[in-house]
Amino acid sequence: MEQSEVMERVVKILTPWVKDEAALSQVSMETNILEDLKVNSARLVDVVIAFEDDFDIEIADEDVDQVNTVGDAVNLICGKL
Amino acid sequence: MLTSPLWLAFVVLAIRLYFRYRIADAKAVRARYRRIRAQSDAPLLICANHLTLVDSFLIAWALGSGGYWLLHPDELPWNTPESTNFGKTWFSRVLIYVMKCIPITRGGAREDVGFVLDRVKTLLMNGETALIFPEAGRSRSGRVDEDAAAWGVGRIIGSVPGCRVLCVYLRGRKQASWSDFPEKGDTLDVSLACIEPKSDARGVRRSRDLAQQVTRQLARMEEEYFNARQ
Repeated sequence: MEQSEVMERVVKILTPWVKDEAALSQVSMETNILEDLKVNSARLVDVVIAFEDDFDIEIADEDVDQVNTVGDAVNLICGKL
Repeated sequence: MLTSPLWLAFVVLAIRLYFRYRIADAKAVRARYRRIRAQSDAPLLICANHLTLVDSFLIAWALGSGGYWLLHPDELPWNTPESTNFGKTWFSRVLIYVMKCIPITRGGAREDVGFVLDRVKTLLMNGETALIFPEAGRSRSGRVDEDAAAWGVGRIIGSVPGCRVLCVYLRGRKQASWSDFPEKGDTLDVSLACIEPKSDARGVRRSRDLAQQVTRQLARMEEEYFNARQ
């Protein structure tokens, strides 16, 4: 799967949790999920589980420690496909 | 840190005289806590509902008197207060100083949060007790939010073999919603329930499952609290 396709699906998955929709319209690999998109940190686990379901992968707790930006999520997922 | 028990005893005195808080049935609550601790050597994580800025302190006081912590400083639970709450007032600065604290920035860099969770895990495995609020922050609804279970709590439980969770429900009788402090002169009711969350799930899903078992238990305790007061 192309990285761009993963990125597109990641953004689609993130959308329901995003509180700053303006930031979503300018989303890039550098966009911080919590600080820029204002996703509630307590809900990050739901986002990660949605990644698992959508991409049919398993993500370990420790993997989540590396996910700060949209790009981090895309790279993590690409590494597991 | 060595002087913490002395300061804690001092603050207990100050809070009793100035804020005039009272723990309802404190002797029974403390005896129950000591029984739970004595029942097993398994690691014990304390998880509580969260309504005020001083809950960590109030829970410590509910579980042991100032004198008790003076004699048993090693049993005082570690806390993970929100970093941004530091230093707002002289009182919070004193409280942070006297408690065994590992500051955490909620919503901060995931690596930093992971580091704090690993420290708590290490402490539990070394026989220490830690206190965490599974809802991550003070409940804005004034009620336990089952869906707000912070995955980090489940991550700790899942990574510490045999981890027991002591659920603590604490609420002032005048506490309608969340606040910085309970009202002066308030009586605080405390209930305890010890559970051992288990899950067959894997990875992050397992951690969420374990965390939700804790918030569900706290929600049940809250329901019992309000039912008993009707």
